[in-house]
Amino acid sequence: MQLTRRAFHLSLLMTAAATALRPIAAQAATNGDQVFLNRLTFGASPEDRRRLAEIGRAAWLDEQLSLPARPDDWEARFSAMRLKMEYEADDDGEGHSWPGVSELRPYQYVNDSPEKVLPLIDWSIPMSYGERSRPGDEVIALSLPRAVHTSAQLREVMTQFWHDHFNVHSQKNEFCAAFYPGFDAMLRENAFGNFRVMLEAMAKSPSMLFYLNNDESRASPANENFAREILELHTLGAGNYLNETFPVWSDVPGAAEGLAQGYIDQDVFEVARAFTGWTIGDGRWIAEGVNAPKTGEFYYAEGWHDPYQKRILGREFGPNRAAMADGHDVLDMLASHPGTARFVCEKIARRLLSDDPDPDLVGRLAQVFLENSDNPDQIAEVIRTLVNDPAFDAPPSKLRRPFEYLAALYRATGAKVAPTEPGFHYQLSRAGWLQHTFPPPTGHPDRTDDWMSSTVILRMVDFATFAHDDWFGVTTTRLSDVLPDTVQTFGDLADFWIDRLQGLSDPDMAVIFAEWGTSPLDPLPTSADERHDLSVAVISLAALSPTVFYR
Amino acid sequence: MSEPKLVVIFLRGGADALSLVSPTADPHYIDARPGNLRVGEGTDILGIKLGDGLADVDFRLHDAAAELGTLFHAGDLSIIHATGLTDATRSHFDAEARMERATTSVSTGGWLGRTMGLLPVSGPLSALAVGTSLPEALRGSTAAVAPDLPDLVMAAGHWLAPALRARMQSGFGAHDRMDATVAEILALSQTLEDRFFVPADGSFTPYETNVEYPDNGLSQSLKTVARSIKAGFGLRVATVDYGGWDTHAHQIQDFPQLVSGLSASLMAFWQDLGPMQAETSVVVMSEFGRRLRSNASGGTDHGRAGAMMVLGPQARGGRLLGRWPGLANDMLEEGADLAVTTDYRAVLAEVLAGHMGLGDISTVFPGLSAQPVGLFG
Repeated sequence: MQLTRRAFHLSLLMTAAATALRPIAAQAATNGDQVFLNRLTFGASPEDRRRLAEIGRAAWLDEQLSLPARPDDWEARFSAMRLKMEYEADDDGEGHSWPGVSELRPYQYVNDSPEKVLPLIDWSIPMSYGERSRPGDEVIALSLPRAVHTSAQLREVMTQFWHDHFNVHSQKNEFCAAFYPGFDAMLRENAFGNFRVMLEAMAKSPSMLFYLNNDESRASPANENFAREILELHTLGAGNYLNETFPVWSDVPGAAEGLAQGYIDQDVFEVARAFTGWTIGDGRWIAEGVNAPKTGEFYYAEGWHDPYQKRILGREFGPNRAAMADGHDVLDMLASHPGTARFVCEKIARRLLSDDPDPDLVGRLAQVFLENSDNPDQIAEVIRTLVNDPAFDAPPSKLRRPFEYLAALYRATGAKVAPTEPGFHYQLSRAGWLQHTFPPPTGHPDRTDDWMSSTVILRMVDFATFAHDDWFGVTTTRLSDVLPDTVQTFGDLADFWIDRLQGLSDPDMAVIFAEWGTSPLDPLPTSADERHDLSVAVISLAALSPTVFYR
Repeated sequence: MSEPKLVVIFLRGGADALSLVSPTADPHYIDARPGNLRVGEGTDILGIKLGDGLADVDFRLHDAAAELGTLFHAGDLSIIHATGLTDATRSHFDAEARMERATTSVSTGGWLGRTMGLLPVSGPLSALAVGTSLPEALRGSTAAVAPDLPDLVMAAGHWLAPALRARMQSGFGAHDRMDATVAEILALSQTLEDRFFVPADGSFTPYETNVEYPDNGLSQSLKTVARSIKAGFGLRVATVDYGGWDTHAHQIQDFPQLVSGLSASLMAFWQDLGPMQAETSVVVMSEFGRRLRSNASGGTDHGRAGAMMVLGPQARGGRLLGRWPGLANDMLEEGADLAVTTDYRAVLAEVLAGHMGLGDISTVFPGLSAQPVGLFG
């Protein structure tokens, strides 16, 4: 039988790995620090593991909660990155043409002020659609290197959480795309902050206003899209939607005392009226002779507001109140509502801990949430309470979602991730992960059952097998360059990558290896290409393991 | 007909049934919407007449649904109006979950999952959810989940594939929650690779058909279903999602495109099936319809009753079924929305009985005691 070079090396490797795997497996399964890190980061990197061992959990958490939204290490990496812009020469059909472009550009919009993007939504200025959607593309392309490389890991984990909580499809249209960097920055800035502050920033964010159509909501009838979702998805949650149980507002428990325990459609109608006129300063027509200013920021159009009396969750709102008072009061009521506290805290616990967190634990978190409603570090306090709870020591139970799996893979291997085009977005979409482009307002689901499918598992196997290849477009790191000098033999190679991945071996895996025949003491080939390929082989096999699939 | 097949297309977001199958001459309808958000005389969308089977309000299909009109008048397509959940909910999440589970108990999966439990398995791919996650309706079954069949092949053509397969076959440790998924991967991966992968090219055989599908996501999904049916893998049930129907604004731009996608893709799929049409039924459904009165931003908000469609030669098509409640204020649900007069489960139950040949469906729809719709009468 003629073996190819790769198959031959694979055979060497299998034997080597078989001997190396078992003791490490036992270690990985009991390593609470790694479980701790995997919950609070995009995957434990060697640096995280060292840092945690050095300073301990409490100090590590304090450090993470105090890192800023733009830590220095990230800014240095960010300024060196480039993203491709490519389109062909074309015209707008009205005699204005533009030349074709194919170039690597710095990130233009991520740290810019909102009025910089106004030309992108002005269709009197001819340009390719690629230019108009560029701000959204930049945020998408940056999301993976951020997850892999930022030192502010917990903040990034929570930023992704808030993206799914306050979901906006950045490429729904050029408007959502243009303002998306501001929306992303707002979520990152407030990721550990005060929920009431974040809720208002979200309600006034141009990307959200465009996405859920509130920018066009005016009297009358109001547009109910945003009103329904702020109640169902952002604050009280679907569990507090009581429409089937109580047909009339006054029947809802608590309504008579001025704070209903849940909401019904009548509340949706009224909340929609409360937010009429909350729109965008993009120069739009408001009324005869009146245009919104061109600020690229939130704008309140008084003339569009429905000013008459309202009744929301049992509370009376008088007619003709001050500008934005209706909306502000709704935000106050929702942000401080016990139903919101439970809903948001349960979701945080679901994200960081387990699919179905203990109701008593959620109750304790909700209590902290409510007690800190005026605290600028409200969310940080909730996270601290959760992480310090004995329940946080539970074994891993959540399937990593595709984005998390890919990021964890790169963090484990130490590959430098700097995509020059967002091609990984397509790869993730094949696994159902639509980074910043999830169309329905629910955001990506967060239960293992939602991701446990043949297609998702197979794409994750693909990631382990292909993600370090050139065509994947994410990294140019050769895994051979990551290997330290101490890796001399096949056995060393298996040890090294299995430790990096925290990949679990098991007796079954040894059965596979036994089918191949050579010694773990055999020296590794010296060729970088072969060392890279062999590394991919170990990583792919070791990653096919519950300790890598689960966090 | 040895193995009847059921394809369920779910219009996610709440399709505006009043624009899709419009009561064009109803004065309340004309009052409630500007000309660009309705169908009929005096608007830009004259509509395709369906005949006056249901009520004297001149029902018409949207102009963008030309192919649906053809299928209707050919006697293949039935439309059931004013259908929906009997529970009063206008939440996407809540309505979809209730509709797909079709039972008050969450522990017993979805209505198609329970259906699969009643069907004998005669191939490796008896149920398929086109997409990347299992819909609620198929919970409780071991349906394959994939955008396309080659997506179910593990590391096709990669030099590591045999080792990865061996590793997966060995069980790779304690992972009980992954067992069913891993078993499904192992059952299908090799079968599909053998059938569709060309090692010499390092790629999969593309799906070949003489029918030209329009270029949209629904077509891609329906091609996957057509390919699965023709492959002879024992497919009985397939689900397809078609999203984007949540037209709170800009309905005049978005809705015709959505309808035209549905209509043209469904026709292409139907033609593509050829002789397999005789064994296939397609159900089109949505979580709710939309508000009778449009809002001030050119759209419509969440409503209640919608319309369902059943395509297939087993049902006696070309008829508008259901009971039209009318649109006068006192006939509307909560004074706002087209009222539900036909429980959506009644339609599904008749398809399961009349097409899929299931005798006792009390476990699929526990407690259902609805009036017959008469699809097969």
